Amino acid sequence: MKQKISQDWQRNKSLYLLVLPVVLFYVIFAYKPMYGALIAFKDYSPALGFSKSPWVGTENFTRFFQSVYFWRLIKNTFLLSIYCLLWGFPASIILALMINNVKNKHLKKTVQTISYLPHFISLVVVCGMIADFCVSTGLINDVIAFFGGTRKPLLQDPAQYRKIYVISQIWQQIGWESIIYLAALCNIDSQLYEAARIDGAGKWKQLLHVTLPGIAPTIIIMLLLSIGRLMSLGYEKTILLYNPATYETADIISSYVYRSGLINQEWSYSTAVGLFNSVINLGLLMLANFLSRKFSDTSLW
Amino acid sequence: MRKTTLLVLMVLCVTSALFANGTKETEVQQPVSTSSTFTGYPMEKDTPVSFWIKPGSSVTANFSSMGDTPFYKEALKRTGIDIDFQHPPIGQENEQFSLIMADGNYPDIMMYNWLSNYPGGPAKAIADGVIMSLNDIFDKYCPNIKAYLAAHPDYDKAIKTDDGQYYCVPMINTEGTGTFLGPMIRSDILAHLGKEVPTTIDEWYDVLKAAQASGISHPLASEFSQIDIRNWNPFMYAYKTDSSFFVADDNTIHYGPIEEGYKEYLENFAKWYREGLVDPDLPSLTTDQVTEKMTSGKSIAAWALVGGRMGSWIPAGQKTNPDYMLIATPWPTLGKGETPEYGWSAMPFSGNGAAITTKCKNVERAARLLDYFWSNEGHDFAYFGTKDVTYTIDADGNYHYTDLITKNTKGWTLGQMIAAYTIANYTTPTYADIRYSKEYASLPSQKEAYDIWRTNCLKHLLPPITPSPDDSKTLARIMNEITTYQRELSLKFILGTEDIDKSWDTYVANIKKMGIDQALAIENKAYDSYQNR
Repeated sequence: MKQKISQDWQRNKSLYLLVLPVVLFYVIFAYKPMYGALIAFKDYSPALGFSKSPWVGTENFTRFFQSVYFWRLIKNTFLLSIYCLLWGFPASIILALMINNVKNKHLKKTVQTISYLPHFISLVVVCGMIADFCVSTGLINDVIAFFGGTRKPLLQDPAQYRKIYVISQIWQQIGWESIIYLAALCNIDSQLYEAARIDGAGKWKQLLHVTLPGIAPTIIIMLLLSIGRLMSLGYEKTILLYNPATYETADIISSYVYRSGLINQEWSYSTAVGLFNSVINLGLLMLANFLSRKFSDTSLW
Repeated sequence: MRKTTLLVLMVLCVTSALFANGTKETEVQQPVSTSSTFTGYPMEKDTPVSFWIKPGSSVTANFSSMGDTPFYKEALKRTGIDIDFQHPPIGQENEQFSLIMADGNYPDIMMYNWLSNYPGGPAKAIADGVIMSLNDIFDKYCPNIKAYLAAHPDYDKAIKTDDGQYYCVPMINTEGTGTFLGPMIRSDILAHLGKEVPTTIDEWYDVLKAAQASGISHPLASEFSQIDIRNWNPFMYAYKTDSSFFVADDNTIHYGPIEEGYKEYLENFAKWYREGLVDPDLPSLTTDQVTEKMTSGKSIAAWALVGGRMGSWIPAGQKTNPDYMLIATPWPTLGKGETPEYGWSAMPFSGNGAAITTKCKNVERAARLLDYFWSNEGHDFAYFGTKDVTYTIDADGNYHYTDLITKNTKGWTLGQMIAAYTIANYTTPTYADIRYSKEYASLPSQKEAYDIWRTNCLKHLLPPITPSPDDSKTLARIMNEITTYQRELSLKFILGTEDIDKSWDTYVANIKKMGIDQALAIENKAYDSYQNR
């Protein structure tokens, strides 16, 4: 056994070194903090420190479950995530398929570059642009007015908030997320297409029977990962876009955690809310994995 | 799996503090050393004092640290005390403060609103071992502060906890310096419309309507997304109410947003919004957008700061329109000729002050540094800089900035020049100086504004009361939820997305259900002990 390990080490030394930073990253930023999540069960006071702050059991969780905002936060987080998944997930696949069918190399590269550029723009700038587009004298209202509609401020209408969020989200991420599908598309054996053509399949049939089955494993893995992230929307974009008038649809768990933790300094409470969110995410991921294993051969573990 | 970044960040701070600093929990508060070797300024060279303070925007425009300003270079010569400034990123003071608190490595001095922003209040901050009680320190090292407080018993009462502990070296807004924000309107447009300066709600309505008829589509604009601006709406104060707790005529604390006056305000303001008198983008307006509207003539009235806003709008507006002029208007009332009872003014003490933390290595140096700016010499220096360089004294004994400040060649604004050579332009731990306020307000409209905006509101604004730590906690818990709800609904009522007549009763009932009565009981208990101080 011992010999085996040292042999393995000798052979793969450089590989282990290569993976070390990644392992460290997870240890430092994902595993070590889990210990600190214990303050969710305490009444944490920085002066008393971690070990001396009194235990309060599940009080922080009960408080969140009984909060008047509980159901609203769950609903908003869930709906916003679902909409992002529902519209955003297929969008990047469709874009990848379309780019894949472009014959002109230069055009292909240009489209690709333009579509993933927004991913590299700072979120603060993106949200500033959204805000400027959405004011009653902004670009979007100019278009609406041009077609005879009436101008109205969009960012303060709870009914418009999710649309604005989802559409801008897609705009920002579509190019970036299509990269992985493009890579998968390259791996499909061109002989399969030839065979399909000989059998008389047109473009559409080729797409259905060769291309899609070819990238299906990638799609499923990506879908699983997305479902695992379903309820974990970041707070950054929300706090840049919302205002009290749109709390009704805009306030999500992470923005609530942000407000109670960093603005109102209720550390324990906000940790409890965050922990609760993580537990839900874990549950969703396991569920998705289970379903996928049951109905297809692909799964994460 | 990606957890929320926030959770990771906070929790990381907590754990790293724990691992890196295993002994910190057993540390005891340093006893104040009794043997002082102080023989006057400048003091001998020693380790720098670390000073955490939010820099004014007039400083950050030109300097990355307050320590780089000519003022602090001169201050180092005068006091001999090196300062290591630590600045939070603008707009993230509270987050930064939270992180420092969670981490436990406090700088020597921290300038912050200990009264309203430390969870549990200042008494808790002392009990938690975050900051020191300053009573002994004032006695030993701060003769100037002691003398000032002895001469001003009102301020002295305001800056203590109920059990008589000083917790910070305060920023005091002295008589007449607190009225630096209020309603303002374009006087040239008023003249053009043939209207008088509006003083009542009805007159305002009349003026705004006339302006609208003359082609200014949305005459009233303000950056409503900023909490201060939202909470200090002049058209609310006219209804003798407030957006939060206030002292009513019966000398007890009331919660404004559930009272009849607040409802009338909402009804009126919603009507103005509906009729387009108020900018349609009200909730999302940014300061830059308001500046653009006010200087280009798309809007003609706002409520804003006398210095940074009125003082920069007038010259900017005059560039394209030589007639452009803004004037302050009195805080509006309902009846003609009434003295405004309600309005906004900075409280003499709003809770902002420099506290000395328990991690301070050299308490005497920190205390002497803060005390220096309360001496006559130090105070003149703080507000006017160096004599004959940045200011001169005229024959009547009045102080004036020199051309170095007022006619600078660098293209900086007056505020930025003042902020470079003095500390007068932002929240500083000393008492404010009306001589500076009038000098800084260089335009006649600005000078007048301080007096026009005077009201009797100090009677009604909440004094710096300090509920007990447990009470504060309950209060924070209740109010965090209520405030979210109140802000949301107030905006909806104004925007018309929620019908006031239909939903008002449910709204009040909901706030009651969230525990406003308990919160009021806590506030009133604390108010009673404040009055008995």
